[in-house]
Amino acid sequence: MGVEIIFKIAGIGILTAIVGQILKQTGKEEISTLATLAGIIIVICMVLGQIGDLFNMLKSLFSF
Amino acid sequence: MEIIFKILAIALITSVATLIVRPVRSDFAIMIALTGGIIILVMVLSFLTGIFDTIKNVVETTGVSSGLYALILKIVGIGYLVEFTAGICSETGNTNLGDKVLLGGKIVIMVMALPIVTSILQIIMEILPK
Repeated sequence: MGVEIIFKIAGIGILTAIVGQILKQTGKEEISTLATLAGIIIVICMVLGQIGDLFNMLKSLFSF
Repeated sequence: MEIIFKILAIALITSVATLIVRPVRSDFAIMIALTGGIIILVMVLSFLTGIFDTIKNVVETTGVSSGLYALILKIVGIGYLVEFTAGICSETGNTNLGDKVLLGGKIVIMVMALPIVTSILQIIMEILPK
C-alpha cells in the first residue's frame, strides 16, 4: 500500500493510450480495442484488490 | 503528526496524476482518484484502532453494556463505508446512484438503531408513574 500504485495506474493508462493510438494508425482497429480492454482490466484488477483490502480492514476494525 | 504531510502529498500527487491522465483516458483518471482515496483512508484507519481502544476503556469503566458499544461501532463503520461508496459513485458521474447508496445507508442505520430507541422508550415507560 503506497503511492507507487498511483504512478503504476497512471503509467498503464498513458501506455495503453499510446499503444491504442499506434495500433489504430497502423490500421489494426480490433487489436487496438483489445489492447485498451486489457489495460482497463489490469487496472480494474489492481483497484479491486485495493478495495478488498480496505473493506477487509474496515470489517475487522468495526467488528462486523 | 507527520502523517498529515503524507496525506497531503498523496492527495496532491493523485490530483496531478488525474490531471495528466484525464485528457488521454478519462476512465483511468477515475481509477487513479479511487486508488488515492483508498490509500489515504487506509492510512487514517490505522489510527482509529487507538481511538476505539480508548472508547472501549471508557465504556468498560462506565458500565454501559458492550452490545450497545458494538452496535454504535457498526453504525460508524456503515457510515464510513456508505460515505466512501457514495463519493465514488458521484465521482464516476452516477450522482443518482450515490444518493441511493446514502439513502440505503440511512435506512440500514435506522433499522440497526431501532432496538436502542425501543429500550429508551421502555425505560421511560418504567419511570413514568402508572
